[in-house]
Amino acid sequence: MSTKMIYLQPIPVRVWHWLNALGIVTLCVSGAQIRFPEYVTVLGSYRSAIMLHNTAGIVVALSFSIWFFYYKIVANSLDKIYIPNGSELTTGLFRQAIFYFFAYFFGVNNPHHATPESKFNPLQKSAYLAIMFVLMPMVNLTGILLMNMGPMREIIMLIGGLKILDVIHFLTACSLCAFIFTHVYLATLGSTPLAYFIPMLTGWEKVENHDDHDTEHSK
Amino acid sequence: MFGNTSGITNLGMAEVSANQDRVYQFNQQVGGAVKQRDDSLLAKRSISILLSVLFFVATGERVIAADFSFGDATGKNEACIACHENQAKVGNLNYIDPKKFGHTTHAKFGCTTCHDTITSDHPAVKPKARTTSCSDCHGDIISQYSASIHAKNASCSGCHNPHRVNRANEISASEMNKQCASCHSSVKITASHSKWLPQAGLHLGAIACVSCHSKAENYVISIYIAKRDGAEAESTVNLAAYEDLLKYTKGDNIQYLIDKNRDNYISLEELRKFNRDPANRDIYLKSIMTPVKPTHSFQTFDNRWDCSFCHGSGPEIMQTSYLTLPENNGTFRQVAVEKGAAMDALRAIPNFYLMGSTRNGTLNMIGLLIIFGGMVMPLGHGFLRFLTRKNRQ
Repeated sequence: MSTKMIYLQPIPVRVWHWLNALGIVTLCVSGAQIRFPEYVTVLGSYRSAIMLHNTAGIVVALSFSIWFFYYKIVANSLDKIYIPNGSELTTGLFRQAIFYFFAYFFGVNNPHHATPESKFNPLQKSAYLAIMFVLMPMVNLTGILLMNMGPMREIIMLIGGLKILDVIHFLTACSLCAFIFTHVYLATLGSTPLAYFIPMLTGWEKVENHDDHDTEHSK
Repeated sequence: MFGNTSGITNLGMAEVSANQDRVYQFNQQVGGAVKQRDDSLLAKRSISILLSVLFFVATGERVIAADFSFGDATGKNEACIACHENQAKVGNLNYIDPKKFGHTTHAKFGCTTCHDTITSDHPAVKPKARTTSCSDCHGDIISQYSASIHAKNASCSGCHNPHRVNRANEISASEMNKQCASCHSSVKITASHSKWLPQAGLHLGAIACVSCHSKAENYVISIYIAKRDGAEAESTVNLAAYEDLLKYTKGDNIQYLIDKNRDNYISLEELRKFNRDPANRDIYLKSIMTPVKPTHSFQTFDNRWDCSFCHGSGPEIMQTSYLTLPENNGTFRQVAVEKGAAMDALRAIPNFYLMGSTRNGTLNMIGLLIIFGGMVMPLGHGFLRFLTRKNRQ
């Protein structure tokens, strides 16, 4: 079988992805120092940790907005890419889970083939749906409230107080931190360990030509 | 500027003077380990007076000191108060609010203890300058204060009006900052702190000035009931007054607004109930971090520039808190609160959160478990992947 290159990740997506990656890692580290200053001191003073955390938070919140704007308005592919459809929910999730936790170990190929229109497998879609539409907005919004406690006090009171706000911020942040580990690991499950990393840098993914349908590609 | 005589200034200063006494009371109540200065002073004086009484009784002379009845102001001050409670008659400078003065420890000593040059010719003859001073009793504070950079800007009476001082448990910790604000404008203070302190307004509303600007070593969380009007500035305390709270208990003791089982002790559950009660939607609990033992060594300590002085101090120091309630006479009262109110994850004091120090242990564990959950896939899957690597070649 011959191979061909497909353009999977356009520039705005790549910029957003790496900005986000850097931002989230920075937020995790500075956040750890802010919560556990006696134990984590990698960023120097507490004040510098706060400043960095606030800056990274604003960057991630802005990049989230750009991501949403690009996919929803410019590319208009947000729903298609991120929301699992009927068959994906009924059989796709199951099929993909079988692959990851069973078939993969016996050398079976990934049943999902990434295309610009269908980047994610059903499991990915569901995970990203939770991350991009629940966790990210939650951590961003609680972060914005925590940065503006004075002017936004009434909203904070409505939520139930500063403590509850912090609990939401902390636990969603922990979930996103947990996501990073899984995300990086899953990215090594391509035909070669780096196969999924390269398109996020160059935009192009090498795929094998399939006989029957030219939009379907398997690695 | 501090020797000034306007009644208005005295009013401000009066509240200020509470600080000093408050400190001692604080020590006794909260710190516990601090020597009880008032008592030892009283004891010393009592002995010396007893001796002088014996001496003068023996020699048959009249003894002024023998007029004292310590711990009881009855009958000692009425003659003076009779005129001095009349503001129109004696003027602002010489006016004494009998209710507030009667409340002070100074009243128990009697007017003539300090105003020792008053003679029976008064008011016809103006008294000579008195020979007593604050240092007669408060000597060690004076020497400590004299060494501070603040000493050249204000004398004792600049902050403390001896005719209105309150005890430590008779003033809200949130009112402490008012005394500083009588000279230091809050606008200027917020601006100067903003230069280095993130969210300065928020900090200034939640910390007593003396937490950083005096040599305090340990801190407690003072909980108070604030009015919720939605428009308050973050640095404003907005303390609910006695009359405001009286409406909530329908005339009953306002402590029962929170202390539902009336055992003179606030449990975490009682705090949670108060916060949940929809009847309390226009009032809420706020807190301020106050030093257990502020001193008169006012200055800016180098380590207070470091945020981790508070934020990195760990959860241990956040355990102690008390509830401060306003009293009918304008003073305040403290009620003991169960240990760990500031550390409660959600509902005990929902609006007090000191980053880094009030983190909840249970939540830390849940967070850690979530993060470990994210590592399960790489570790478990990676291990099986390694074992079955031959299948994919």
